[in-house]
Amino acid sequence: MFRAAILRAARTASQSAVRAQRPAFQRITQTPFLQSRISTPATSISAIRCYASSSGLGQDEVTGRIMDLLKNFDKVQDQSKLSASSHFTNDLGLDSLDTVEVVMAIEEEFSIEIPDKEADAIHSVSQAVDYIMAQPDAH
Amino acid sequence: MSNPTAMQARSLYRSLLRQSSQFAAYNFREYAWRRTKDAFREHSTVTDERRVQELMQMGIKELQVLKRQTVVSQFFQLDRLVVEGGKTGKQTGNRNGIIRTNDWT
Repeated sequence: MFRAAILRAARTASQSAVRAQRPAFQRITQTPFLQSRISTPATSISAIRCYASSSGLGQDEVTGRIMDLLKNFDKVQDQSKLSASSHFTNDLGLDSLDTVEVVMAIEEEFSIEIPDKEADAIHSVSQAVDYIMAQPDAH
Repeated sequence: MSNPTAMQARSLYRSLLRQSSQFAAYNFREYAWRRTKDAFREHSTVTDERRVQELMQMGIKELQVLKRQTVVSQFFQLDRLVVEGGKTGKQTGNRNGIIRTNDWT
């Protein structure tokens, strides 16, 4: 009888000890989980940033769009000379007024506004491509 | 190509073309665009310094007119013409948005 009481007391004591230990154990196991929860948004943000920064225009796409634009420009005299490196005046036979029109058409195509100084410096397809590639808001 | 007058002329040409594309009405927009191009082509061979300055002054005056008239034209918007393409029909947008639906189909 006395022995049975001691055993029962010991059992309840051990169970309560286990029960007392469990939250502590859970807290230990939870900490890595919490850390991972904190770290996941950080990685997802960086992933989004990477995606946003890398979504620029490709050089081939820019060149292609400018070439298409020039193909439809009726003042280009020699279509065969039209290439990615052709000069507006020397190769395509455009004068300065036509060059202004071409640059404005490029502005409209990529929905940007090129300031006078930069626009005056664009004389060839490759220069236009370089300028567009340097613009982060061109699309 | 690099003298200051040519640069000014190109700048004026660019401003005029840019401003003329701001007209709300198709007819005015196209006319301003065409008129600017024709005027610059017509006088592209002028070499007399005095005459060039006169023409530049005329262009600047035209630019002022364009600036005023484009603002005025924004107040009196008409429905888009069929030749313009894009959305056609009556203006139905409330809160001054221009939402147009094609209502003759």
